[in-house]
Amino acid sequence: MEVKSYLQQGLENGRFIVTAEIGPPKSADGELIKKKARLLKGYVDAVNITDCQTAIVRLSSLASAVLVMSEGLEPVLQMTCRDRNRIGIQADLLGASALGIRNLLCLTGDHPKFGNHPQAKPVFDLDSIQLLNLVKGLKSGRFDNGEAIKGALPYFFVGAAENPFAEPYDFRPYRLAKKIKAGAQFIQTQIIYNVDRFRSFMERCRELGLLDQVYILAGITPPKSLAMAKYMKDNVPGLEVPDEIIKRLSSAKDKKEEGIQIAVDIIQQVREIPGVKGVHIMAIEWEEAVPEIVKRAGLDTAPSSFEVTPPFVVEKVVEKIVEKPVEVVVEKVVEKIVEKPVEVIVEKFLEKEIPWEEEMAGERIPLGTLIEVLSDLKASLKNIKSGMESLEEGLAKLEEEFLGRREHRPVVREVPKKREEITPPKEPSLREAPTVEVKPFEEERREVSEEVVSIKEETPLERPEEKKLEVKEEIKPEVKEEAKPELKEEVKVEEVSKPLIEAPKIEEVSRPVSELLIAGFKGDYRPLSERAKKIPQDLYIDKATGLIKEVIIGKGDRALKCGNASAINFHHFEGEIRNGIKIAMEILDIKPDDWPESLSKYFVEVYHDPALWAKKCVEVYGAEAICLYLAGTDPNSLDLPADHAKKVAEKVASAVDVPLIIWGSGNAEKDTEVLREVADVVGPKGALIGPVVEANHRTLSAVAMGYNIPVIASSPIDVNLAKQLNILLENMGLGLDKIIMDPSVGALGYGIEYTYSVMERIRLAALYAQDAKLQVPFICSIGKEVWKTKEVSLPSDDYMGEAEARGILMEALTGVCLALAGGDLLIMRHPKAVELCKLLFNSLSMS
Amino acid sequence: MIIAERRPLSEILKNIEAYERIMVLGCRGCVAICSAGGDREVAILAEALRLGREKKGKPVQVLEETFIRQCDPEYLEPLKDIKDKVEAVVSLACGVGVNLIADLYPDIRVYPGVDTTFYGANLSLGEWVEKCRGCGDCIIDLTAGLCPIARCAKNLLNGPCGGSQRGRCEVKAEMPCIWHEIVERLTKRGELERLLEIWTAKDWRPAGGDGLRTRFREDLLDS
Amino acid sequence: MENSFKIAILCCNYTNLAEREDLADIVARIEVKRYPCSGKIEITDILRAFREGAKGVMVAGCARGTCHNLRGSDRAERRVVGARATLKELEIEPERVEMFFVSRLDAGDFAEKAKEFYRRILKLELKERTQ
Repeated sequence: MEVKSYLQQGLENGRFIVTAEIGPPKSADGELIKKKARLLKGYVDAVNITDCQTAIVRLSSLASAVLVMSEGLEPVLQMTCRDRNRIGIQADLLGASALGIRNLLCLTGDHPKFGNHPQAKPVFDLDSIQLLNLVKGLKSGRFDNGEAIKGALPYFFVGAAENPFAEPYDFRPYRLAKKIKAGAQFIQTQIIYNVDRFRSFMERCRELGLLDQVYILAGITPPKSLAMAKYMKDNVPGLEVPDEIIKRLSSAKDKKEEGIQIAVDIIQQVREIPGVKGVHIMAIEWEEAVPEIVKRAGLDTAPSSFEVTPPFVVEKVVEKIVEKPVEVVVEKVVEKIVEKPVEVIVEKFLEKEIPWEEEMAGERIPLGTLIEVLSDLKASLKNIKSGMESLEEGLAKLEEEFLGRREHRPVVREVPKKREEITPPKEPSLREAPTVEVKPFEEERREVSEEVVSIKEETPLERPEEKKLEVKEEIKPEVKEEAKPELKEEVKVEEVSKPLIEAPKIEEVSRPVSELLIAGFKGDYRPLSERAKKIPQDLYIDKATGLIKEVIIGKGDRALKCGNASAINFHHFEGEIRNGIKIAMEILDIKPDDWPESLSKYFVEVYHDPALWAKKCVEVYGAEAICLYLAGTDPNSLDLPADHAKKVAEKVASAVDVPLIIWGSGNAEKDTEVLREVADVVGPKGALIGPVVEANHRTLSAVAMGYNIPVIASSPIDVNLAKQLNILLENMGLGLDKIIMDPSVGALGYGIEYTYSVMERIRLAALYAQDAKLQVPFICSIGKEVWKTKEVSLPSDDYMGEAEARGILMEALTGVCLALAGGDLLIMRHPKAVELCKLLFNSLSMS
Repeated sequence: MIIAERRPLSEILKNIEAYERIMVLGCRGCVAICSAGGDREVAILAEALRLGREKKGKPVQVLEETFIRQCDPEYLEPLKDIKDKVEAVVSLACGVGVNLIADLYPDIRVYPGVDTTFYGANLSLGEWVEKCRGCGDCIIDLTAGLCPIARCAKNLLNGPCGGSQRGRCEVKAEMPCIWHEIVERLTKRGELERLLEIWTAKDWRPAGGDGLRTRFREDLLDS
Repeated sequence: MENSFKIAILCCNYTNLAEREDLADIVARIEVKRYPCSGKIEITDILRAFREGAKGVMVAGCARGTCHNLRGSDRAERRVVGARATLKELEIEPERVEMFFVSRLDAGDFAEKAKEFYRRILKLELKERTQ
């Protein structure tokens, strides 16, 4: 049944329309709705009935609409998608139409989160546009499923909401277009304070040709207080309150009066905008302001010309309710309402000019509000007594009524959150900041890296490769002579390792010892001070405050001095490194049975006599110290007696004049016995003995003190244990200058990184954290570890390369690594590996 | 993956109150990845239950086990022998696993150890966000790959609501307004006209409105 | 008889704890469990320490930024957070477990902190026993 509503007729006739809004109560108090309707009647063309706005349970919009009609006022039924699916919505719409409701506003609805039942399951089967589309279908005789409606069709003048102030701004006019397409005939906008933005929105709508298809009613809300305006400005997304409005309110004496005036001014401004066909005044919890606004704005309405005929009469029922809930004080007022037209009372009330501030202080409560409050919140008069409380509640209500932001808004966070790049702390050892150095000298370095070190064969290559040829030309047969003058280039570990890795290209399996040669470095050396002159020193220099103690092994001219450094190894620019890195060569007390051919070939002829062996190391290979490893005394091996060890040591000691290191089997108990004996013969020569562990430190420290010789304090790769053993030895009376730490080392590929980091930490603690108990040199028994690995014993093949070079490189690389970690005294086996290490250490020791 | 979260210990303790021997059964599927029900969480829950029960003076024996998955009957087979060993099983699998155990082993008292929450992505360690709602009728081909069903609080299908501001959702301000992003992306791609069409009401049957959802593939089915 | 008042210290291999005499004031059985790294300490380990009778659990790791494994002690700190949440659910005071960052080379004020922790646990115990 197509009976056009008063609202529709008014708009079609080109009359400037005024709509207002009634929020139903949170109770079954229908009379309150009727009172509000009476308050507005005669000033507005129609009144919106909210549908549980901000998701708070209220008297239903459908029932409220009927109650409003009973007062002769035309309702606009608001219908949201939050609480009903398409079945419920269609059923209610059929019912609404049957009850004579002719105006419908289709909304998506506020999310339940904002309401008083946040636990509820949100429906949102449809969105507002789909709802409009559904209504269009119903009006044309189709249910949403396409089925025909047999019988009376519902009829509605259909509206929608739009917010010109919500982002994305550019999309809003298109969304409006969609709503029109879906069936919207009129639009009520979000509250307008920023008239300029609204104007441009309207302009855009005009460009899109929308204004001819839809009636736009501009949303107006009189700010009731400065606080409310500020709240809306700061907390309501999609609501812009320009500073000017705030200014006006803050400078006004009478805030409410100014609020009404602001609304009136905005109405007058938006009225001038083409396409604005009316205003929708949402005086939140302040309905009584509407008539005043309408009058001041000069909005002409013709309410008497229209009679809303409700399908049934509810007045009688309501009358009974009227008197009861109102308390004695108010009774007179109620009577007045009954006697006189509502608007007169409101007018009087406005004429009285009750100061708004005073009202807010709770001394006097305006009539309209009183009635509302009394019937709405019968029991809570207390709340209104306190001015501040009242204000707060007003704000909160405002919030829930209109803005739906009752809770504290969480801080806006960037989503998706960017993962924070985890930058590991700078490795403490990189004090030199090598990257700083690299750039200016890139070219030079490249040149060097190709030539640094290589292990070459003299015999002609059967299948020479390009690189090999290049290298060969540059390396002269007399390695040592060549190496020295050319050893001027500063060398870095990475540079060294590159050519070293290339070395195993040598393909012939067996060749004479002498053919493996260590080449030198080429290029001109430029001191760091020159290379880094552009960089402020404090960027790469971090001077230590501690000092590694000097430990002296042996006696006389050839005594070996270790430690005595105030900088990390090779960091000559940061402090004094007086003794550098020493290398001792290792011999055994017995014929070794597990040394691979590539190593044993150098010593096989002296295996039978450790004295000769030691002599060869010193005389042929230039060893500056000899480490006698008493492998034969190991209880798990031959378990030779202490006496044997003593004899061997005696022979060795008399054969060579370099300092001796006596390394026991590693069995704490056996070592106690063996080293005590051996010390008798090597003690007077100042030899270094060990390993001393916690289990035997008492006895062995006593032995060492007896001969005033240093010991090797051996601990299992741990800072604390190393420190603890030093403390124990010191407690026994042994000076720290008689201790060399063996941190327990691993070979390349066999835990070297762990060794490295523990050593590095000990050294940093000693130098930079002044941990006195750790300020002693390191001894690293490299040979034992390297030459028991699987790799050194594997034969030469294409995949693994040449066996001897591999072994040499493994031992040398292990040595270099541990020297970088802080090693002061290295014990090594292969003469070529020793040579290679010395070469590198000498090069790296140039400052 | 399926995101889950351990249920409150008080709930689990209440469920197992009457038992003296139980098993905490983890799953190495999704719940392990989202740190709710893998080996580590099994160990923690088992230890917590032991501690909780000991505190009450009623020690409980807790076996720990983690299956590769709990959503496949074959992986659940070891449960055959379990029913005599323990009185109850607390499963840390998603609801699928708990249901399947209940289906296949009616004699086993199985209790859920986690709340199954959503299908989400792991944005960073300890942070998961919903990306899909399994509505059974994918529409993100039209929305630049961003799903308004899962990621819009009101699952709107016709563009952003009036609460979108500064690209944020009004319901959860820490989340982006997905419609804002969709509009932005399609605008950039010059495909905004896609959104100008009215998206009619969605058929929610594939989303479960049609009763229990099943899927059959002829080419894989036996016989 | 063993002292039934036990405090467990879970720490990494490198943690430099105070010397025994420094902790002499603590009239409790102190049980130290060392892990390769404090990052290896799981929530489970903390809970187990309680189940094994500890009245309080101190988790100690390297000072921030000095962890041998870079972030091990940071991880341990998070595990403590996790363990606290679990304890709370079990109605055990979460402050019975705490993370301590101890310099690797210098125990520093660890002894002081440990004493403070001990007093706190003692108070909690007294409260519990009087109830």
